[in-house]
Amino acid sequence: MPSFRKARALAALVIVANGVIPALWILLTSMKTETELMRVPITILPDTPTIANYVRVFVDQPMLTFLWNSLAVATLSTVLCVFVSALAAYAIVRLRVPMGTLILSGIVLVSMFPLISLMVPLFQIMRTVELLNTWPALILPYAVLSMPVCTLVLASFFQDIPQDLERAAEIDGCTRLGAMWHVVVPLAGPGIFTAAILAFVNAWDEFLLALTLSPRVPARTVPVGITLYQGEFAFPWPIISAALIVAIVPICLLIVVFQERVVGGLTAGGVKG
Amino acid sequence: MRTSMRIGRRAALAGMAGAALAPAAQAQAPVTLRIFTGGQQRPDVMRRILDVFQERNPGIRAEVEVGGATSDQQQQYLNTVLASRDSALDVMLIDVIRPAQWAAARWAEPLDAYLGAERDAVMARYLPAYREANIVGGRVMALPYFADAQFLYFRRDLLAKHQVAPPKTWDELSAGAQKILAAEAATSPSLRGFATAGAPIEGTVCTFLVPLWGMGGALTDAQGKLALDQAQAQRALGLWADLRAKNVTPANLAEIATDRIRVDMQAGNLIFAMQWGYAWNRFQNDADSQVKDRIGVVPLPSFAGSAPATCVGGWQLAVSAFSRNKEAAVRLVRFLSSPEVSKMQAIAASHLPVFPEVYEDAAVLAANPWFRDARAVVLGARARPVTPRYAEVSEAIRTSMNGFLAGTRTADQALAEMTQRLTPVLR
Amino acid sequence: MARVRVGPLERAERRLGYALLAPALLLLATVVLYPIATLLWTSTQQLHLAQPWLEGFVGWENYARAMDDPRFWSSLGTTLIYVAVTVPGAILCGLGLALLANLPFRVKWPVRLGLLLPWALPLVFAGLIFRWFFEYEQGLVNAGLGLLGIEKQRWLSTPDLAFVATCAAIVWKSSSFVALVLLAGLQAIPASLYEAAAVDGASAWQRFRHVTLPMLRPAIVVALIFRTITAIQTFDIPYAMTGGGPGHSTETLAMYVHRTTIDVLDFGYGSALAALMFLLSLALTSLYIRQTRRDEGGG
Repeated sequence: MPSFRKARALAALVIVANGVIPALWILLTSMKTETELMRVPITILPDTPTIANYVRVFVDQPMLTFLWNSLAVATLSTVLCVFVSALAAYAIVRLRVPMGTLILSGIVLVSMFPLISLMVPLFQIMRTVELLNTWPALILPYAVLSMPVCTLVLASFFQDIPQDLERAAEIDGCTRLGAMWHVVVPLAGPGIFTAAILAFVNAWDEFLLALTLSPRVPARTVPVGITLYQGEFAFPWPIISAALIVAIVPICLLIVVFQERVVGGLTAGGVKG
Repeated sequence: MRTSMRIGRRAALAGMAGAALAPAAQAQAPVTLRIFTGGQQRPDVMRRILDVFQERNPGIRAEVEVGGATSDQQQQYLNTVLASRDSALDVMLIDVIRPAQWAAARWAEPLDAYLGAERDAVMARYLPAYREANIVGGRVMALPYFADAQFLYFRRDLLAKHQVAPPKTWDELSAGAQKILAAEAATSPSLRGFATAGAPIEGTVCTFLVPLWGMGGALTDAQGKLALDQAQAQRALGLWADLRAKNVTPANLAEIATDRIRVDMQAGNLIFAMQWGYAWNRFQNDADSQVKDRIGVVPLPSFAGSAPATCVGGWQLAVSAFSRNKEAAVRLVRFLSSPEVSKMQAIAASHLPVFPEVYEDAAVLAANPWFRDARAVVLGARARPVTPRYAEVSEAIRTSMNGFLAGTRTADQALAEMTQRLTPVLR
Repeated sequence: MARVRVGPLERAERRLGYALLAPALLLLATVVLYPIATLLWTSTQQLHLAQPWLEGFVGWENYARAMDDPRFWSSLGTTLIYVAVTVPGAILCGLGLALLANLPFRVKWPVRLGLLLPWALPLVFAGLIFRWFFEYEQGLVNAGLGLLGIEKQRWLSTPDLAFVATCAAIVWKSSSFVALVLLAGLQAIPASLYEAAAVDGASAWQRFRHVTLPMLRPAIVVALIFRTITAIQTFDIPYAMTGGGPGHSTETLAMYVHRTTIDVLDFGYGSALAALMFLLSLALTSLYIRQTRRDEGGG
């Protein structure tokens, strides 16, 4: 069916173009000099491709610090979130806690609170406990932000594990927690991994809280770092573009490597919610 | 240069790890001071100056922290740092409009006690505008780092080619720009006539005030109460409407921020610009500058029959009220606010001196020939309103102004909106 | 299920259940409930961090001030328009992408990358990238218009166009998430339904209208709820693209709250605005939830 094949190729092209062209344009921009960018009419391909902008990304601003902060905050908040969500999901699905569904809805409802409403009091609270501009200022809220989706994903995974396996383990002399650790956790491994990726991406992308609770350079994350490049100094576009590429490439790699899990996780968390 | 930055970064990481564990080991010598500056105030030049300071003060190390590039972004950033009473920053470079706000919020350490008997003698050496800006309620809240004012930058080569004299009035500017644009349209289609800040940023406040003052108007009276004469303000806005109607200003003026003007002019795309002092150095020394030795700087034009006006700019050094090393911080501030450093900055960054005598220094004039006339401009520059609620004043003016320049508000609407929002603040 | 008397084993299990739930609830209490209580309390205070001498209880005054504040109303209106435009926009674009992505591709990863990348990017990155697209002199969009012989547009400083540009960025960014949710819905539709429809002689459009859409309904509702919740909070993209300008024309409620608190440091008034926003989102989401409940009850 050649016409079907053509349609399929066209569909693939549309999806890829829609998703990738913006990033591609930034990549091209990042390889031009500021003089070339000011030229009218604009050029599509760089005249003399340069990597000077990439060097400046790391020299002008402490980009490595930003990357390190983002990595640390995202990882630590993910660990906290997945741990807490897994316990909660297990309790709701397996331990028949009274009003389990109500608690689950309560947790999900949290994701509906506007972040900006939390930002204002969190600023005051973090200010009082002197946590502004530290990692914990972001780790705690980020763990909560992803809790609903993680709990939903994990609950649906736990549900699919046959209860008999646990019973068998218990008969073999395991405690309830032992059964959870030895039977459920390994089986739910893919679910935990999926939840972790979603939590990680959420934390890596967050901007508003990072901007207000942790703007100081030593604790600044990548999205804030790059956005604050701009200024009265117009927009140093070549450098911003290069910085964007530095930040986008790891995301692309993450997607290509873990695509199945991401798609699976989003759908499990989304549709069942 | 590059190695020192790398070391700085490592130190920042180490410092962070330390902070995460415990705030211990603070008392140990040597003292490390952290100074905050915006990206636009040439942190590279400050670093070189700090190296000199460190050489002379072996017990003190000084590190630069660079924050957001606009005055507003820097303040936003400092708001979060200071509201949390963070002691990590010792010295902060702040815009000339801020000392009153800082004094009111008790973020800046008053310097009178540290200056002691020298206080009056020290303050007497500065240009009067900066002496006044830094004394709030009788107390010295900061010391000036460099002065600034807006000037008219122009393309000497283009003006000479088309026999246009540097304009003394806005009408001359408009006519000259139109003449050159018409002649150059075929060969350089990307050339624009004149630009000033129009984006919703601090610089746009001056875009409003300059023509208002130029017409003899004022925003506030002597008591700081709003005293905007609507008819006069409307005529002031008429200047920008007229330049836009004649295609002298770019169509997207409302998107243009201060440094964008510098970038455009540096690429050879602007004939005239209302711009601060720092741009000169970039035009002359940046590797990619298309306009080296082709730029002239003169005082801003006036309206026929009245005196030209310009905004006082410039950057001040405040010691954080939460610093744990105030003695050392004051020592650093006094060094940074000295004629010696004023001269270093003038040569390395075309930052205008805060001491009258530095304007006559031969080396300074060799690097910046236009400084000869600049002192008179700085002396005549006017200050934006002094109030602890300046953030709200600025916000009201720049957003209404931005709406007007974008064409979404008529002059009437913009002024009505501005007045409505300024009345409760400036009373 | 008949309720049996609670035996010691169940009781132990229940206790364990509570213990396992405790960390989650504790975290929610400290990071959400306590802050919300603080917010409501602060909203009744005069609290201006740059004027520390002016502090005290003012009751409803901050709320009354909001009712008289034209900027509150204009930012609220802008927020609602963003919701009204970008939610259906993202659902339609997302549906289109999902239908395309549902074809059987031989090599999957490029399609997946194209589908997932906008979702995985930070919102501000999308804002920065689109700002560069819509740049006046150097933007790709104006260059494209130039090729068509259309005059350059001031995308970011004309209110309507700035609105269009920011909406384009929001729709681009969020349709990716919608597509993923809908794709899962599409893949859950049994092939037998289509086969039956084909036997009945249904056209492609009829199959879409009478099989796909009804089966996709739950997924669409989920996407709608999530998208609406995020649309009410629109902040990052206009912040990065226009800063709320020109004037205040693209300023959302979230941006006004941020400006009032972090720029002006007026936490009392800012808290009242944030509390109003909280109520707004609570109202909208409960409306949705009730709607879904009714659907479930009926179906």
